[in-house]
Amino acid sequence: MPTRRPCRGWRSAPIVLHRLAVAVVGAAFLIPIYWAIAASLREPGVQSPRTMEWVPISLAWDNYRQVFAMVDFRLFIINSLFVAALAVPLTIVVASMAGFVVSQIPARWRRGLIALSILCLMVPLTAIWLPRFILFKEAGLINTRLALVIPALMGTSPLYVLLFAWAFSRVPRDVYDAARLDGAGPCRVWAEVALPLARPVVVAVAVLSFVHYWNSFVEPLLLIRTTDQMTASLGLRVLYSLDRTNWPLLMTGAVVVMTPVVVLFVVAQHAFQQDARGRGIIGQ
Amino acid sequence: MQLGLMLAPYLAGLALLVILPAIAGFGLAFTEYNALQPPRFAGLANFQEVLRDDVFRIATANSLIYIVLAVPLRLAGAFLTARLLLRPTRGVRIVRAAVYLPTIVPDMAWALVWLWILNPIYGPLNQTLALFGIAGPAWMTDQVSARLAIVLMMSWQIGEGLVVCLASLQNVPRDLLDQAAIDGGSAWDTFRTVTLPAIAPALLLLLFRDTIFSFQANFVPALIVGRGGGPDFATMFLPMYVYTTAFGYLRFGYAAAITCAMYLITGLVLWLQFRAARRWGFGFGHAD
Repeated sequence: MPTRRPCRGWRSAPIVLHRLAVAVVGAAFLIPIYWAIAASLREPGVQSPRTMEWVPISLAWDNYRQVFAMVDFRLFIINSLFVAALAVPLTIVVASMAGFVVSQIPARWRRGLIALSILCLMVPLTAIWLPRFILFKEAGLINTRLALVIPALMGTSPLYVLLFAWAFSRVPRDVYDAARLDGAGPCRVWAEVALPLARPVVVAVAVLSFVHYWNSFVEPLLLIRTTDQMTASLGLRVLYSLDRTNWPLLMTGAVVVMTPVVVLFVVAQHAFQQDARGRGIIGQ
Repeated sequence: MQLGLMLAPYLAGLALLVILPAIAGFGLAFTEYNALQPPRFAGLANFQEVLRDDVFRIATANSLIYIVLAVPLRLAGAFLTARLLLRPTRGVRIVRAAVYLPTIVPDMAWALVWLWILNPIYGPLNQTLALFGIAGPAWMTDQVSARLAIVLMMSWQIGEGLVVCLASLQNVPRDLLDQAAIDGGSAWDTFRTVTLPAIAPALLLLLFRDTIFSFQANFVPALIVGRGGGPDFATMFLPMYVYTTAFGYLRFGYAAAITCAMYLITGLVLWLQFRAARRWGFGFGHAD
């Protein structure tokens, strides 16, 4: 298909229709989040409106102060950041090392490791809930935020290992060979050659794993008991259990908890969507 | 040697945190265990109970209904969006990010947001429907619309599917598309004979992955939006039932048996999908 048609007469009709459809789809996917933000800015205690308000009639920014007073979101956020601060770097190191090995070993072994990774990716998490809970309980890791970091010891997800392996295997062989001829061992080749070349994937895995640990709900739900160890997602459930009908404050809490990941995702867009030269992980 | 050491944390982690627990889950299913006293061997008692359990039957039916509705909707949504957003302009890049955005919203926050959206009187969804003179359903207080509501809220989180579809559509060989255009077939013909065969493997993998994902992903919606599987067991899906059995009634052995049954059901569904796809694939090959 031609990339751009002249925009005149009937010929431009498909382009206009296409743009319209693109805009509608974009709006449709954003609307739940918009509704949440709009509801978070309503005065609490005022009767909810019976008809649709597309533009919020009030801007009760005070809700955002109030929600931090109702539950200790400051502490929950610090706990979440604590978990992510340990888990994200650990994930990058473990997953990229494993991915590097996968990209370097003979094809026979590589295929086996890739198959194993995909297989483990397919194991339903539900199947692991109970045994992992019992394992962590026996290890005395119940009700510590440190327990939430433990999956990072295996690189969090086989998917990240596969992403790294794929990125490293796209680097021309002679780049590694040249480094090796200079006397660098695998560890140095990984740290000094491979990782810097795969920077977009490092950023992408950092973002994805941060989102993973920030969003994680089931693991904290099973492992954390007391409020002092709770993460942001779990704290949101505490807020919900306090008052299940105070919609402005509930939506304020929801917006507070989703804001960090949304902002991070928007800022890190370039790692996911590549420029014209074909870098990045989503495709062009 | 060094390579082996670099791989060790990953392999050890997989063994300890995924493979071993998955196997231990099977063992647990043969015991009576409440996490307070040591487990007691119970033979096949848990499995016999699963077969007689009415709630298990309801949960299985709910999960299957959910899979049948949600998976095709999610795949179609991901595929159509990818088609629409295939060629990257500035605007398209922004919209791609917008489509992906709901996928990264924390499950708990997403559930709360939808609890509000689905509020039958004050919620923005029914108020929007009212603008068009449509009286919206009672959503989470009605069994049928409650199930639909969970399907609806999960069809926004299709970012992963979008990425897979975009990547595979971009890998369709350009020259084949050009050749088809020269041959003068209709757009539908080109799609059927060139695009579809090229992306079929990726779509199939996505179908499997989304089926496995969908079996478990409705846990948080059922817990929060369905307030623990309600109304009247309408959103009591299998993971919700596993959770209730283990952490509500402290029956870990029985919960493990339900998990095993869930494994089996997931496997069965995947097998049916695989057979259907192969058949469809064969018919396709001959038609050329």
